[in-house]
Amino acid sequence: MRHSFIDRYSALDSPLHLLEPRSKLVAFTTLIIAVLCIPANKGILFFMYFFATAILMGISQVPLTFIMGRVLVILPFIVLATLAAPWRGFPGLAILFIRAILCLLLLILLTNTTRFIELLRGLRKLGCPEILVMNLSFLYRYLFVLTEEAMRMKQARDCRRVGRAPFREELKILSSMLGTLLIRSFERAERMYSAMLSRGFSGEFQVYSPRIFSWRDLTFLSGAALFVVMTFLIL
Amino acid sequence: MTDYAVRITRLGYTYPDGTKALEGIDLDILPGERVAIVGPSGAGKSTLLLHLNGVLESTGSIRIMSSNLDSSNLQQIRKQVGLLFQDPNDQLFCPTVFEDVAFGPLNLSVPPGEIPRRVQKALADAGLDYSMRSRSSHHLSLGERRRVSLAAVLAMEPVILGMDEPTSNLDPRNRRHLINVISGLKATLIIATHDLELVLDVCSRTVLMDHGKIWADGETRAMLANAQLMEMHGLEVPLSLKAVGSG
Repeated sequence: MRHSFIDRYSALDSPLHLLEPRSKLVAFTTLIIAVLCIPANKGILFFMYFFATAILMGISQVPLTFIMGRVLVILPFIVLATLAAPWRGFPGLAILFIRAILCLLLLILLTNTTRFIELLRGLRKLGCPEILVMNLSFLYRYLFVLTEEAMRMKQARDCRRVGRAPFREELKILSSMLGTLLIRSFERAERMYSAMLSRGFSGEFQVYSPRIFSWRDLTFLSGAALFVVMTFLIL
Repeated sequence: MTDYAVRITRLGYTYPDGTKALEGIDLDILPGERVAIVGPSGAGKSTLLLHLNGVLESTGSIRIMSSNLDSSNLQQIRKQVGLLFQDPNDQLFCPTVFEDVAFGPLNLSVPPGEIPRRVQKALADAGLDYSMRSRSSHHLSLGERRRVSLAAVLAMEPVILGMDEPTSNLDPRNRRHLINVISGLKATLIIATHDLELVLDVCSRTVLMDHGKIWADGETRAMLANAQLMEMHGLEVPLSLKAVGSG
């Protein structure tokens, strides 16, 4: 089975894709923090950041429709979060909304120009705790296994039923499927841990990571830093 | 005294829910021997394998290459005993093939400079090309996954190798390929399987388990040709032996 919901465009070779993951992580985090720090009364800065993000989006070669699709998926949450702070009044809410969308766009850009594995490697090299990175990598690895298991269960259910059951029945079937999936994952985790022990795991993760950091990364990093400093100097 | 690769004495194991999985198991295996463990599902074959490197603990004693298995030397024993699990999805938990194969050697404190060479050699020994190192496990076929799992175990350079159903669910070509790879291994092999043709191909000695006990232990051909014994324990004489018998 092939999956395309993750890493669909992260294997392109735009200049943004070719960067070392560490430089991207640092640059995008800096940009996101900068966006969060823009004072609400400096509307022009929002435009500048939006413009910069648009340029990055253009460079990245990730299709705009795809990015917009991703934004749409998260949009309801942003709207909810925005509406949860009604005391801010209209301009405040609008700023909150724009901030969130900008951060979201930057994150989408980061995760779709870097393969998930590379992202993990970048986090690791930046000194992110190994246990956290390992958990993320398990999440990535078993997301696919679990999806397949769920798909097979769905097929088995569809094979044995004719037409639609009443809503309550449907819910019952769904909940028992979810329960089974949970138990199976639990059992799998135990087998997996046995496999780790069998290969000498003793509670501490050992990592092999040769470092490559090029002039490209330096350029991109200093570019991003320069942009942030400049925008705040304009104030 | 003969030096055994594996010496199991009065091994017993009860699952947390009270089911007896293993009872009074005595088994000696010589270095370089290739032993098949056959028996119906639920006979305790996999459970026995999990004892070889101390993943499961129970009553009785296990000696591996002249040292008693206990909590003090677990790491040492796991260096010597490799286990191949039935489901490669349990065994391949890293994002890429390289990381999975390197996982064992890194835990054994192999110097980082030597890791790529180890991975390359293990992949080659399992019949795989080094170029597949950056692929993700979820993009591999089952046959490839099984071989990567084997490579991940071989990378630790074990002297004893336990395998749980290595050929299950493989198509004939992948199965044959894996059998060839297994036949070429130098380690002492303990293979738990239902694939009796594999047993005939690879193992000179067979141990028959049922209900957590050992019922027979001897030369492979003689045992597998014993129709009465086979049927009593939910097995069947392999076709190739039947053909010899009737022809």
